[in-house]
Amino acid sequence: MAQRNSKRKPTKRKSNIRKFRRFNLQKVKSMKLAVMMMIILLAFAGLGVRLYAITRDNEVDYKKKILSRQRYDSKTLPFKRGNITDANGTILAVSEMVYNVVLDCKVMLDDEKNKEPTLSAMADCFGLSRSELNEYVENNPTSQYKVWKKRIPYEEVRTFQEREKQYNDDAEKQNKQITEKDRKLGLIQGVWFEEEYIRRYPNNSLACDVIGFTGTDNNGTYGLEEYYNDELNGMNGREYGFLNGDGVLERTTVAATDGNSLVTSIDANIQAICEKYLNQFGEEHKDEVREGGGMMNGGVIVMNPNNGDVLAMANYPSFDLNNPKDLTPYFTAEQIAQLKQEEKEYDALNNLWRNFCISDTYEPGSTAKAITLAAGLESGKIVGNETYSCGGALTVSDRDISCNAIHGTVDVGGALEQSCNVAFMKMGEAIGAKTSVEFERIFNIGLRTNIDLAGEARTASLVFTEQTMGPTQLATASFGQGYNVTMIEMACAFSSIINGGYYYEPHVVSRITNSNGDTIRNIEPRVLKQTISASTSEQMRHHLHMAVAQGTGRSARPAGYAIGGKTGTAEMVPRDKVNYVVSFIGFAPADDPQIVIYCVIDRPNMQKQATASYATGIVKNILTEVLPYLHIAKTEEMTVAEQEEVDKILGDIVASDNADEEDSGTEGEEGDKSEDEGDSTGEGDTPQEGALTVDDNGNLIDAVTGIPVDPNYSMSDDPNLATEAIRENASSGTSSTGSIWSGSFPIRNILPENSESGNSVSGDNPSGNGPPDENPAE
Amino acid sequence: MARRPQKFRNGRHNMDYVLLVVVLFLVCFGLLMIYSASSYEAGVDMEDPAYYLRKQALATALGIVALFFVSKIPYKFWQRFDFIALAVSIILIFLLLTPLGVTRNGATRWIDLKIGLTLQPAEVAKIGIIIYLASMIQRIEELGKNILRTPKGLAILMTPPVVVAGLIYIISSNLSSAIIIVGIAVAMLFVAVPDYKWFIIIGVVGLAAVAAIVFYAAGPGATGEGSFRLGRVRAWLDPESYSTDKAFQTLQALYAIGSGGLWGKGLGQSMQKRKFLPEAQNDMIFSIICEELGLFGAVTIILLFVVLIWSCMIVANKTTDRFGSLLVVGVMAHYAIQVILNIAVVTNTIPNTGITLPFISYGGTSSLFLLAEIGIVLNVSKKCK
Repeated sequence: MAQRNSKRKPTKRKSNIRKFRRFNLQKVKSMKLAVMMMIILLAFAGLGVRLYAITRDNEVDYKKKILSRQRYDSKTLPFKRGNITDANGTILAVSEMVYNVVLDCKVMLDDEKNKEPTLSAMADCFGLSRSELNEYVENNPTSQYKVWKKRIPYEEVRTFQEREKQYNDDAEKQNKQITEKDRKLGLIQGVWFEEEYIRRYPNNSLACDVIGFTGTDNNGTYGLEEYYNDELNGMNGREYGFLNGDGVLERTTVAATDGNSLVTSIDANIQAICEKYLNQFGEEHKDEVREGGGMMNGGVIVMNPNNGDVLAMANYPSFDLNNPKDLTPYFTAEQIAQLKQEEKEYDALNNLWRNFCISDTYEPGSTAKAITLAAGLESGKIVGNETYSCGGALTVSDRDISCNAIHGTVDVGGALEQSCNVAFMKMGEAIGAKTSVEFERIFNIGLRTNIDLAGEARTASLVFTEQTMGPTQLATASFGQGYNVTMIEMACAFSSIINGGYYYEPHVVSRITNSNGDTIRNIEPRVLKQTISASTSEQMRHHLHMAVAQGTGRSARPAGYAIGGKTGTAEMVPRDKVNYVVSFIGFAPADDPQIVIYCVIDRPNMQKQATASYATGIVKNILTEVLPYLHIAKTEEMTVAEQEEVDKILGDIVASDNADEEDSGTEGEEGDKSEDEGDSTGEGDTPQEGALTVDDNGNLIDAVTGIPVDPNYSMSDDPNLATEAIRENASSGTSSTGSIWSGSFPIRNILPENSESGNSVSGDNPSGNGPPDENPAE
Repeated sequence: MARRPQKFRNGRHNMDYVLLVVVLFLVCFGLLMIYSASSYEAGVDMEDPAYYLRKQALATALGIVALFFVSKIPYKFWQRFDFIALAVSIILIFLLLTPLGVTRNGATRWIDLKIGLTLQPAEVAKIGIIIYLASMIQRIEELGKNILRTPKGLAILMTPPVVVAGLIYIISSNLSSAIIIVGIAVAMLFVAVPDYKWFIIIGVVGLAAVAAIVFYAAGPGATGEGSFRLGRVRAWLDPESYSTDKAFQTLQALYAIGSGGLWGKGLGQSMQKRKFLPEAQNDMIFSIICEELGLFGAVTIILLFVVLIWSCMIVANKTTDRFGSLLVVGVMAHYAIQVILNIAVVTNTIPNTGITLPFISYGGTSSLFLLAEIGIVLNVSKKCK
């Protein structure tokens, strides 16, 4: 076409020449190029100005906009709260990592095709509703953070991750062979897992009041969890991006610092034994007189008098640490509904959670006679050869204060043995109010013991001072009425009376270790003071031994052992002879005290509350198991009846242990049940839940043998391993197994003995079960 | 073609080395910026941070070979192909309609060469039009100097470029290439024809048309047909209102430019390239330059382009041969239009349309032909006085 045109051009040429002015093409070109260049330069200049304007006007604004959109992914890395273990390494409290399932819709919808595989994987692996997921994604396509499931264990996460990996690998393999973008397969993406720790208590209710509990907020409530909250907590780590000085985005990870772990002096086995018998009593007398448990409150403390270690601290009622807010075991549904209505739910819960052994105060009753006598002997106001005559009552300030019986003439030891109130009132008079109050202070009565548990009560206002102690008060105080104590105060004071006069500060934690298991602090025994002299202490041991051997505490003696101790039966306010606190405090063995045991039963659910044998029975059963467990050899001969009784207790244990073995595969059975018989028998030595511990590598091992858990392994097969284990668990010399103590039984000495076998729990004991010991002033 | 004795240069080595050095610098700088702008996204999407860099490096290497090869070929050689160039351009455009056409992002702009490479017919058409027009203007002027000054002559010359541009727009919906082709043609005629009045008329009419479209687009009833382009116009007028869709890219580019400040964040430190700015290595690479090297770097690049265009102008001016001179004018117009339009788009001075930045943006065909065009200019420069 153009060719044709150019051929026709010459015809028009002449006319054109006339029409236009002549011009030089070269000059025209230069001119035009110059004009064009001008236009181009102007355009560039304009653009340059525009760039400058954008930068000048918006630099700060746009910088902010960019920075605000950058995702710094600031992510908290949770710390792990420290463990709480018993003296043998049995785990009492542990933090476990759990995972929250988070869906990032925006990332998932990066490619619409990802939706189907991702959502179906989520639905399958976590049991989520597919339609719910769909609906949420439809409505919130830009949502970046939605938690779909909380606190799932690692196994579920792994299942999902395996599926994700397998599916994505397959899909990517296929995608490599497909070039068209539209036909490529979608991937599973946009799901991630948020880490979190939760607190678990493998033994459920074991030592619940000592341990306390912690929710997900890492804030301990009650017990060790509260007292050592800061120690147990670590520091959260953080993964974050930040802009450095050059405006460059950098990422940094500050690792979390895990919390420290507590190694307690609690021995889970002793603890379990104490709880077993306390709960047994509670169950046996449930709903007997009034609705409710076998006692209002109950507590057992087992201590090592020679260093202040608390070996066990049991409470009644106990609660499940893994489910502390569950009131159903204690109340009916209607009662709970009513509590909720009256907003008294938390009162009830607090009652449940409170550690009776340290938080509740009560009048100690006759157990305080040990203190009165120790004070008298130490001060020299009582020489030891005095005799007192008891006519059944004593008149103090025109009031008759009665005794539990007419004892006639008793000496100092006899007064303690018979628990004669008249004799002790006379002793009190001899000691005098001043010295009495002085010794109250010396024995730390009215002061906190500073045990390392949260919630210890203050009793300063509940004890006498010189001003408030009149003759009547002096008289009643001598047999433990009129002032209040806590169990731990009594246990510590009593420990000092029988250990040679050393008052140790009680403690539950013996060692604090960091997350690597290195010890960072040892809590050494602390002697606070000398309360009485060693010789007075020796006298006291003798008198207290006699009180059990011949006196009111006879029913507390476990077969084969010589122990010392004192019963107590305190009448509660109002003094209407209805409500009593019965107790027994004792030590074993009598000649060389290794443990102090104190059992208090607050208002037993029985017709006749004022019976100290409720407490002595529990103590006897506990000691029958605990003393052999602690390798304390029997020193006394045993009667046939006694042997039978011991056999019966052990036989029961073996039987229930075998029963446990049958269903030992079932996890989550009642903690105390699986714990009770722990390692206390040689036969059927099934490693119990409570006997497991974690070694340095985080493997579950048997606390005793130090070898990986093997349910069919029996300790007694290989004594070498046992010694090895003991060496490994050097933290406690008491670490042992039932198989060993079964071997430490003395050879049965079957000698007929005519002495009355009044050791049975509910046996009639003329002095122990007598009428109310005390008869207060009013 | 009269050759005069040269004072400083001899006949064999009178190539314009300034031009060559500037181009080589721009090409190298372009590779650097492509790597900087694309490595993050390529690393995420392709699992190879150098994915775009390697592809572009290959095209650049080919382009440089082509540059030196073309610079050895006397430019007169190309005049023989004037009609062939036009015909090939049109045939290639029609090939897009065959199964050889490759569709990406909803537009068919590439031909699959079946050897792992693709070719963009629009790029071929640009150089085809330059050769065709330069040749035709010379031929017509040989017939009569004033033929071009008549409307008929202008119409005859303008018809093929307008037809080609129309085909490109219709078949590959590539408005920017169509605009560039028409722009090149107008620029070449502008230099060739002594008069101004036609161009002033074209300019005024064009501006009026643009103004009318803008007013229409800004008006309330502008929906329905043609709303794709109109939507872009509206997004241009008010980018913040369309920040999530149509103006997203433009706004991100503005954020990049604005946040760069005077000196920039430093090479490789752009944040916008991290999945925020689409086509960061392509049309929007200038905004990444602004962000990383600041106003300073951006102005430096603009100045380099000015030097490039200026060099072309000098060559065109010095060349007495009409064909050679017009070839250079065409190439120069090509660069100038593309650079100006690209920067104008990036700065939201005009509505968004996909125009690459010569030598710097990612694009194989484009680089190859732009470098070959430089080869032509260099060859012309050997012959100038």
